[in-house]
Amino acid sequence: MSSGKVIEPPPETKRKPGQVKRSVRRLESKAKVDGSAEYIHNLSLPGMLYGKIARSSIPHGKIRSIDAAAALALEGVHAVITGEDVRRLIPDPYYGPAFHDQPILALEKVRYVGEPVAVVLALDPHVAEEAADLIAVEYDPLEPVFDEVAAAKAGAPIVHDILKPAATFPDLKHLEGQSGTNVALSSRVRRGDLERGFQESDQIFEHTFRNGKVIHAALEPYVTVAEMAGPDALTIHTASQSPSFVRSEVSRLLGWPENRVRVRTAFLGGGFGGKLYIKLEALVAACTLLVRKPVRIALTMEEQFYTITKHGATVRVKTGVKNDGRILAREVETWWNGGAYADIGPRVAQKSGLTSSGPYDIENIGIDSHAIYTNEPPAGALRGFGVSQVVWAYESQTDIIARALRIDPLEFRRRNILREGRPHATGMLMSDIDIDAILDRLAERMDWDRPFDHGSGPIRRGRGIAIGMKACVAPTTSVAMVNIYGDGSCGICCSTVDMGQGSDTAMAQIAAEILGLSAESIRVIHPDTDVTPYDMATLGSRSTYHMGNAVRRAAEDARTQLLRMAATALKTDMEELECRDGAVIARSGARMTIRDVMVARFAMQAGNIIGVGSFIPPYEKPDHDTGQSRQITPFWMLGGAGAEIEVDTETGRIRVTKLVNVGDAGSAINPEIVERQLIGAGTMQFGFTVFEEMIFSEGQVLNASFADYKIPGMLDLPHDLTGELVEVPHQHGPFGAKGIGETGMFCVSPAIGNALYDAIEVRVTEMPLTPERVLRALREAKDQPLGSDE
Amino acid sequence: MRSFDLVEPATLDEAVALLDSQDKSVRAIAGGTALMLMMKTRLFQPTRLVSLRRVNGELRGIRMNGDGGLRIGAMTSLAELEYSPMLASAYPVMSQALRTLSNIRIRNVATLGGHLAHGDPHMDLPPILITLDAKVSAASKRGQRWIGVSDLFAGYYQTSLATDELITAVHVPSQPLGVCCWYEKFTARSADDWPTVGAAVWYSVHSNVITEARVAVSAATDRPMRIAAAEAALTNAPPTAQVFSKAADAAADEVQPISDLHGSASYKREMVRVHVRRALERALNLRSNGAG
Ligand SMILES: Cc1cc2nc3c(=O)[nH]c(=O)nc-3n(C[C@H](O)[C@H](O)[C@H](O)COP(=O)(O)OP(=O)(O)OC[C@H]3O[C@@H](n4cnc5c(N)ncnc54)[C@H](O)[C@@H]3O)c2cc1C
Repeated sequence: MSSGKVIEPPPETKRKPGQVKRSVRRLESKAKVDGSAEYIHNLSLPGMLYGKIARSSIPHGKIRSIDAAAALALEGVHAVITGEDVRRLIPDPYYGPAFHDQPILALEKVRYVGEPVAVVLALDPHVAEEAADLIAVEYDPLEPVFDEVAAAKAGAPIVHDILKPAATFPDLKHLEGQSGTNVALSSRVRRGDLERGFQESDQIFEHTFRNGKVIHAALEPYVTVAEMAGPDALTIHTASQSPSFVRSEVSRLLGWPENRVRVRTAFLGGGFGGKLYIKLEALVAACTLLVRKPVRIALTMEEQFYTITKHGATVRVKTGVKNDGRILAREVETWWNGGAYADIGPRVAQKSGLTSSGPYDIENIGIDSHAIYTNEPPAGALRGFGVSQVVWAYESQTDIIARALRIDPLEFRRRNILREGRPHATGMLMSDIDIDAILDRLAERMDWDRPFDHGSGPIRRGRGIAIGMKACVAPTTSVAMVNIYGDGSCGICCSTVDMGQGSDTAMAQIAAEILGLSAESIRVIHPDTDVTPYDMATLGSRSTYHMGNAVRRAAEDARTQLLRMAATALKTDMEELECRDGAVIARSGARMTIRDVMVARFAMQAGNIIGVGSFIPPYEKPDHDTGQSRQITPFWMLGGAGAEIEVDTETGRIRVTKLVNVGDAGSAINPEIVERQLIGAGTMQFGFTVFEEMIFSEGQVLNASFADYKIPGMLDLPHDLTGELVEVPHQHGPFGAKGIGETGMFCVSPAIGNALYDAIEVRVTEMPLTPERVLRALREAKDQPLGSDE
Repeated sequence: MRSFDLVEPATLDEAVALLDSQDKSVRAIAGGTALMLMMKTRLFQPTRLVSLRRVNGELRGIRMNGDGGLRIGAMTSLAELEYSPMLASAYPVMSQALRTLSNIRIRNVATLGGHLAHGDPHMDLPPILITLDAKVSAASKRGQRWIGVSDLFAGYYQTSLATDELITAVHVPSQPLGVCCWYEKFTARSADDWPTVGAAVWYSVHSNVITEARVAVSAATDRPMRIAAAEAALTNAPPTAQVFSKAADAAADEVQPISDLHGSASYKREMVRVHVRRALERALNLRSNGAG
């Protein structure tokens, strides 16, 4: 257990000595503290032009004209670039990971307030900004649609005239060229006989839950700098979580081979899923090629609200139960508000859809999950890929059912959870899980069996729990190289992006364990597609498992080569040798440093040993109609949360006094970092639960700045805030590890919502649980409703 | 952002001379925390900013007045106020409120003059200063004048200052011994947010009767203001829960709340009721604990 308000982990190691399962301090700590850590945000190139984006002021409309004369006339303006200019360079300038639907700059139509329409380039960013204001765009407005459920209905205004799925995902092929719909994807899971399940149920519960939109709020806003690398090649420096994807997508847009596009990143000042796929990269690449000068576009904090958001969602859950507390049937239908461009929304819909019946063993299941276009800013991945939205729904309902059946909510879950060997909704047999252990830990840390004081007077107290699950994204590939240099030192080349989650440290620990080095001595080379091999992306808690395995294999490959060389030098068998304490040691006691081995082989301190490893887990594509698959995911992510709260019944304000976040990390490579990931995610979802919300009016974000979009500060955090590690080793994880970066997000909202009910017997079905929303619900329940607005 | 002139006069006379009574794009800048937000959202595009940072003398410092009250220079930062022992002993209610007024980064640069001159109804100190009966000293080419803080606010983001007029100092009178004072800040989002409702109260009790009362509300309304009906409900009544409740109801009835991102008008009306009552109760408790 570790407490949320301690900033630096204690230096002593918690476990047995070794490189993995040890709380190694982050390799970059010092550089981050002394300011020397590299961020693309600080990059400036000679002769670089600054780009400022002119954005759409309306949610939906045809572009009649763009008048850039006044902007061009401003002294210091180098160029103004519009969608048509981009089209001259790139004939089909639409990008996206799921659909090729997003134009680099708006063409013909705009689809949300804030959509980039033109870019001004100038040597001085302030001149560029002033000129961007001078660009006059005339529109013929079209009727917009904002609500995801309304947008899915027939007769709604249509956001995209035709659907353009990217070829990357074969299961979207059937949508190609469809028109007249805002439904980008509908994905289904069918198991058992739903109708019969409901018929045989003693009681049926049906509720609809909602989530508002929120944003990632990374400290480092989106930033990309590009420059020509000779006449026909491009270097893109970008704060991206997916450098490999950026390279393929920019190459595809340009019609170039990938070897002419180089993409590099540095540390990210936070990503949380926002900096995935293409954000500014295609635009900056196009600008650079058009003016053939280095170009930098760095968004302001305010512009982040018009770039990518978390999905708003409407989730309808219908559950049939027996009076003895067994869940017989569950039907879940979700509408995801994907905004104007699909980004990765269809994957959010599909992947979160498939787990939306929860971590429960239910025989009859029907799931429908719809990715919907609307005229709001695009929605994409945000730490959990939609899982927290569906957990909010099913775990709120789980609590409702348990209370209706008069069964303790923890006990009710115990009667229904999935256990090892049982089939998940998709048919895959559960393995390497132990939800009982998560419930046990929750019960222990929440003192669940002890009586709880609900308070009296205006402040009431309540407690609640929730559990949730995610299927790690599949199938994805990671490739790594481990490079041993002439002096015996070691570098890891991998395209995993360290955005604060500690991946550099984890990868170093894995390689170090195998090579008998200390993690602290290893250098992790940051993503540079000219240097580091392919990785799908740093997302979905996949890096430790996938890249961890690739690094492990690369290190094993390097070790094999090293031992073979040492065996030759020592005239012995490889089997006699092992890597330990920075040396190769023979059973006979003979010992060579790694440098000695290199000198023996290359006659001086020279040469390299390059170990290569790649990893792609097995996967079976789900059946299109039933979602059934024997291998839907490489590993399950499981977590639970418990909250104790105080509610001010006169104001509706919730104060969370205790928040426990339990996550199964497999065998943790670095326990301290894992605990902190749980706390960090818990804090983030806590903000989303109690007050974070983008407020829209006619597609315009009314609070698009941190003056008016508040994230939790130190004074808001629960005093008792912990991350709790449960370790159920995974047979195929590197040293038994699983991913955990998102787990702490899953269960916080329903734990707090359930605690709210426990305190005041009022159920709020829409997030966030703002004081006004809570007070209105409470007054409604007491039959003393607050007036509607005057 | 368009380019503009930044001038940094060394004296108050120069500063006043650099302001313009006609041109609204010429403005004073103190800490800049409020002005920069407006400039970033392009609500305000200056041609000239007259910085008060280098103005010496009368805009600075906190000192005791002849009458035992405090004179606070307009350029005093909110952090200086927060840490001032003089403020803490004379008006603990102010020191207390400063702790949750935004965050330390803002308080380090924001000034009391800017805080008042901005005219934003969502500010924490104006209702307190109103109940303490404070006044500001304002200077222009036409000379110096006094404006009561309760008369300073003319409407939503409007003050009674002329465009070429500067606040030079705030005068807070000394307070009668044993007066009951409290400020309740209620935020709907983070703890350091602007208030959804701020309620300040001030009243004297003699022989178990409230002899004089001031109640001021901010954030719920278009400007911070005294609530006469609540004051009337308190005056000549005993300081009981019932009376406080009645005064709070009167306040809720009298205010004309505006809805904004912090809450709807009807919610704010309810919050005025709750927080006026709580402020009245808290003020009394503090006094009986000897802390007032
Ligand atoms: C993120 C954030 C959070 C905040 N949270 C809170 C909060 O919780 N509670 C709260 O009360 N406030 C809050 N504030 C507001 C803060 O109190 C004000 O921004 C600040 O007090 C303004 O002071 P300043 O010196 O920076 O004013 P400036 O920005 O310099 O000026 C503001 C206005 O006053 C004028 N002006 C400045 N000085 C003078 C003078 N001497 N005479 C005449 N006119 C003058 C300027 O011309 C301008 O019009 C917050 C502000 C920010 C940015």
